[in-house]
Amino acid sequence: MNRVLKSAERKISIIFILLAIGYLILSYQLPPYPFVPVDSDFVPKVLGFLLIALSIILFFNSNPKEQEEKKSNISRQDLRILLFVTALIILYISLLEIIGFVIVSMLFIFSCSWMLGYKNFKVNAIVSLLFPVTLFYIFNYLLQINLPSGILPF
Amino acid sequence: MNTLEGLWQGFQVAFSLEGIFFVFIGVTIGTLIGMLPGLGPITAIAIMIPMVYGMDPTIAMVLMAGVYYGAVFGGSTSSILLNAPGVSGTVATSFDGYPMAQQGKAGKALAIAAIASFTGGTVSIILLMLFAPTLAQVAVSFGPVEYFALMFMGLVAISSLSDGSAIKALISGVLGFMAVTIGIDAQTGTPRFTFGNSNLLEGVDFLVVALGLFALAEVAFLIKNRNNIGVDKTQNIGSLKLTKQDFKEMTGPLLRHSPLGFILGVLPGAGATIASFISYMTEKRFSKKPEEFGKGSVKGLTAPETSNNAATSGAFVPLLSLGIPGSGTTAIMLGALLVLGINPGPLLFQDHPEVFWGVVASMYVGNVFLLVLNLPLIPYIAKILKIPRPLLISLIIMFCMIGVYSISFNIFDLYLLLAFGLVGYLFRLFAFPAPPFILAFILGGMMEQSLRQALTISNGDFMILVESPIAIGLFILSFLSFAFPFIKTRKIQKV
Repeated sequence: MNRVLKSAERKISIIFILLAIGYLILSYQLPPYPFVPVDSDFVPKVLGFLLIALSIILFFNSNPKEQEEKKSNISRQDLRILLFVTALIILYISLLEIIGFVIVSMLFIFSCSWMLGYKNFKVNAIVSLLFPVTLFYIFNYLLQINLPSGILPF
Repeated sequence: MNTLEGLWQGFQVAFSLEGIFFVFIGVTIGTLIGMLPGLGPITAIAIMIPMVYGMDPTIAMVLMAGVYYGAVFGGSTSSILLNAPGVSGTVATSFDGYPMAQQGKAGKALAIAAIASFTGGTVSIILLMLFAPTLAQVAVSFGPVEYFALMFMGLVAISSLSDGSAIKALISGVLGFMAVTIGIDAQTGTPRFTFGNSNLLEGVDFLVVALGLFALAEVAFLIKNRNNIGVDKTQNIGSLKLTKQDFKEMTGPLLRHSPLGFILGVLPGAGATIASFISYMTEKRFSKKPEEFGKGSVKGLTAPETSNNAATSGAFVPLLSLGIPGSGTTAIMLGALLVLGINPGPLLFQDHPEVFWGVVASMYVGNVFLLVLNLPLIPYIAKILKIPRPLLISLIIMFCMIGVYSISFNIFDLYLLLAFGLVGYLFRLFAFPAPPFILAFILGGMMEQSLRQALTISNGDFMILVESPIAIGLFILSFLSFAFPFIKTRKIQKV
């Protein structure tokens, strides 16, 4: 039996129960609306209790199928890379409207590919130059969707 | 409008310059994305949505349908060549396809897969054309009670039939339903779970959920596996030619699994993955030489390939005629349709017949494209597998973000996208299936509406739910499909 996944599942079910309780508290605070037979709080309340019930089943569940599942192990290095990519994404999002789509995307593609281990400088530079420019052109001129141009004059 | 008239109209759409162009684009993009291990039809369709935004709905639908079955088709290529299924619907294809490729008969395997996909797809489109309008006629009389029962069944079915634990699938469904309750309640105008954040008043955009939960989460796994690109140098794929003997062996499975796959595709919750496995198992069980299976059997390759493509078209029946998706992928399609301003369902045949018939006709064209264009081009197309993973990953991430931004123009939605990406990643890490989440997210809002409409009609009396015989039948079916996995595990335990 896979102890690790099992205990992880118990932790997850407790997290879900807490989530459901929070959701239920908010549901009970919803203001009533007098002119309908079923108010906006009905379905959320059902869902909240359903999630609690299901999480309790998950907690005590000893389905033989799950014990076969492999433990997905993330190495420390993978985790670092994932966190780094996440940080890059956050940076991308926060700078998108300030610096503009083309430049931010160029920097993002180049640095993200580089960090993920792509060391072919030339190809990387060409791709990160061509893709954002082409996309910007397609979106702004063909699809008429204006992406933020930011500090670039066009 | 009768079938022939409709089909005529449909072919006018499909054979227009625009139609042919977008079918071609759709199947090509679908094939390319489907081929990449890890990226499936859901991601392919979700990425396409921002592109079709503002397009003519029929053409947009034609394009996305092409992406869908193109992705299933493309998945088989990487299953055969790399033993790395691009799509879960083609896992069974690798059982006999990869051994065949290892024996130096990759070309033959690809040809068989292409012919099987073509046959399965085409037969199933004929069935779709015959069934969907009839079903829609029945569904015109459906009221909120029947719709509620129908959607309830769809949700329960996908939870009980998805891979892994049924409890986890149900939890995933409930969480998806919870996510859609965020925002202003349509009936009373009460803001729910918005924490006073004005960005949440309109609710979470479905594209944010779709791209986050599927595309970004898949990217996270690509990052983990970025180094094991299993492409063998310049693999010699061998001749594409099939012998008479091969065709003879294929005939049986082709005839059997086209209708079987279609039926499994129509059923809510089943879909291409389950269809391909069931087909593979039945073919093996009824084979005179079961020992050949898994070692490069022609029959063992034909059966799942026929079935998964047949199921893909079958899945359009409930989507187009009832407006109710039966799987994660068709849920995304429904979301896309709604974005385009089309409400699929029985009224679609009256209001927008050109959408239905255009899609049907384009599917014939698309399947022919897949066969005649891709078959000779497969060795070249397979080169996409050599694109360096790091570049691919960066491009996909950027594409997801621009996809969301170009629809909402809101930075807040991008952070939300990242959050859903994290949720999707954790889901996969702990083996929670994501399709029930997206299906519940799409169906949840509609379910709540129809439930409350029904209860408004009955003035709050819950008995109205069990007064319609159709609804009772559907509730019984939901119960049965829910009980099924438990009975199944019991049996396995006994054996």
